[in-house]
Amino acid sequence: MTSLFERAAEALDRARSGDAFGPTPGAEPEPEPTALAAIALDDEPARRWLAGAQRGDGSFGLTAGPVENDSATGLAALALPPGPERESALDHVVTTPARRVPSDPVVPHDPSLAGWGWAFGTAGWVEPTARALLALRLLRPQATGGIEDAVAFLADRESVDGGWNYGNRFVYDVALPPFGQTTAVALVGLHGMRTPGPSAGLVSRGVGALRRLWPVERGHLTLATSLAAFRLLELADTEEVEDVLERSMDRPVPDLIALGWIALASGPGLRELAVTS
Amino acid sequence: MKPIDRRTFLKRAGIVVAGSAAVGVATGIGVQSIVRRLDRPWDEAAFAPPGRPRVLVARVASYESDLETIVEDGLRDVGASLGGRSVLLKPNLVEYDPDTVINTDPRLVAATVLAVRRLGASSVVVAEGPGHRRDTPYVISASGLGERLSDVDARFVDLNLAPVTRVPLHSRFTELGELWLSRPVVDADVVISMPKMKTHHWAGATLSMKNCFGCVPGRIYGWPKNVLHWAGLQEAVIDVASAVRPDLQIVDGIVGMEGNGPIDGTPVGAGVLLFGTDPVATDSTAARVMGLDPSGIWHVSEAGRFLGQADPELIAQVGEDPERSMTSFDVLPVFEDLKMGSASGGHGVGPDGFG
Repeated sequence: MTSLFERAAEALDRARSGDAFGPTPGAEPEPEPTALAAIALDDEPARRWLAGAQRGDGSFGLTAGPVENDSATGLAALALPPGPERESALDHVVTTPARRVPSDPVVPHDPSLAGWGWAFGTAGWVEPTARALLALRLLRPQATGGIEDAVAFLADRESVDGGWNYGNRFVYDVALPPFGQTTAVALVGLHGMRTPGPSAGLVSRGVGALRRLWPVERGHLTLATSLAAFRLLELADTEEVEDVLERSMDRPVPDLIALGWIALASGPGLRELAVTS
Repeated sequence: MKPIDRRTFLKRAGIVVAGSAAVGVATGIGVQSIVRRLDRPWDEAAFAPPGRPRVLVARVASYESDLETIVEDGLRDVGASLGGRSVLLKPNLVEYDPDTVINTDPRLVAATVLAVRRLGASSVVVAEGPGHRRDTPYVISASGLGERLSDVDARFVDLNLAPVTRVPLHSRFTELGELWLSRPVVDADVVISMPKMKTHHWAGATLSMKNCFGCVPGRIYGWPKNVLHWAGLQEAVIDVASAVRPDLQIVDGIVGMEGNGPIDGTPVGAGVLLFGTDPVATDSTAARVMGLDPSGIWHVSEAGRFLGQADPELIAQVGEDPERSMTSFDVLPVFEDLKMGSASGGHGVGPDGFG
């Protein structure tokens, strides 16, 4: 019987655009889906494409006029082999956190924390921060300032009962609920971490939230990132999520970010994201 | 002067450069916040004078009404011409919460698919790039839209994943200079903006112009599309709407949202659908139906200077009278001045949501 990983890997490989991967099958390649696929499939052509797509400042992403979306840089660093390209990407992550935003009574937060944003020069959000955190913990653990900022940022943006949405805890005194996918990605970034002080319990509350959310939010991306989080956390929930994901593969997966996460979460590539120390 | 259709407009602009967002060399240029240095920050030649557009207010008691016929009649009454044209429906589908009414009702979207087909469209797709969630299939499924679209055999396009096209901006309320729109939006002959009638905690109201935010892809602009907020929210509403130029608007006010919209507000039965051909006129009329003074909603008022008609005296109202159809929507205290008949005369709030 074909495993979930084999099915996902085969589908991903069929959907590639030359050496690399776009957001949908056959689309023009982009760094995020290519980085995910490179790790998931241990794919040398994808790594070569990534190295060629690196910008002069070490970043990876999409440029749209004045908008520089550099949020794929951490993932790309994780996909690259050791060497100057990887170090340059990590330098970019370390030196370009998000813009700090003054706290606002309407959307309160700790203004001393930056996190990482989707686009250069804008505010920090949960998913890009979690990805930067994972890259720094695995590849640049001496960047303690960035790692501490990312953990504190995630603690500051945590939903009231645990877990994360895109990154707002309150708006106009309303506590915003967590989402499955962003909770899972935050847990991928935080797995295996002892979070003392104000961040204590962050992971366990996040796991509780994810256990409530994934059975309801059954999109491919949510299921795949949930599987990745549970596997990295070595929790028994893995089997059930994998089973649901397996059945969901009867539907096509046109989103190659989701397909990349499925291949990554269900295969050997996930070991590359495991923080062991 | 004969108005040009949107596809012609976008192609004439130039300069529409096809292709995906470049994987290029970083310039290090960050997005700057609000700039309104110019008195008239738009290219005069790019925008025809607004004229006297039609806006139809139709009373609709519930989503169980014969929506297909109501929509067909409504589109016909405002002069929609869809024969042989490709149509893209853009509902509002920012995220999903079972306890409130964030999104354009799926029954209305499905009925519009059928109505548009009856009016002779060559094709119709439903498209959206949700602003808060990356897992679009979850939102589509949970909201019930997926099932409704399956019932009418309609295709959904995720604008967060679709190929993108560079579109130069002919208004400069932000410093963005250009936008990268999802290509299906640019390629469609006709775009129908289908917002939910909602209050908005930063902008006062969110209607057919603000709904155009879903046409810019999250994989460039983020989740949320924070770049647009950094550029100045209401300024960005104008620049995005002037780039998308929705040809038609259908506002879902059968049940709208009041209070802390666009996500955490309260459902309010307004019992109306609005149809229009000019997004500014439609939003201006919708605001009045909500009991809000459109001249106080900064982006509507500013867009009324060049993009469309905001002056109620110059809008050809058909169907129900907007004032008689009014349901007074609750607003957050910062927007009390917007309420028609408020003690301060509805002088409104600035682009940052404050007076």
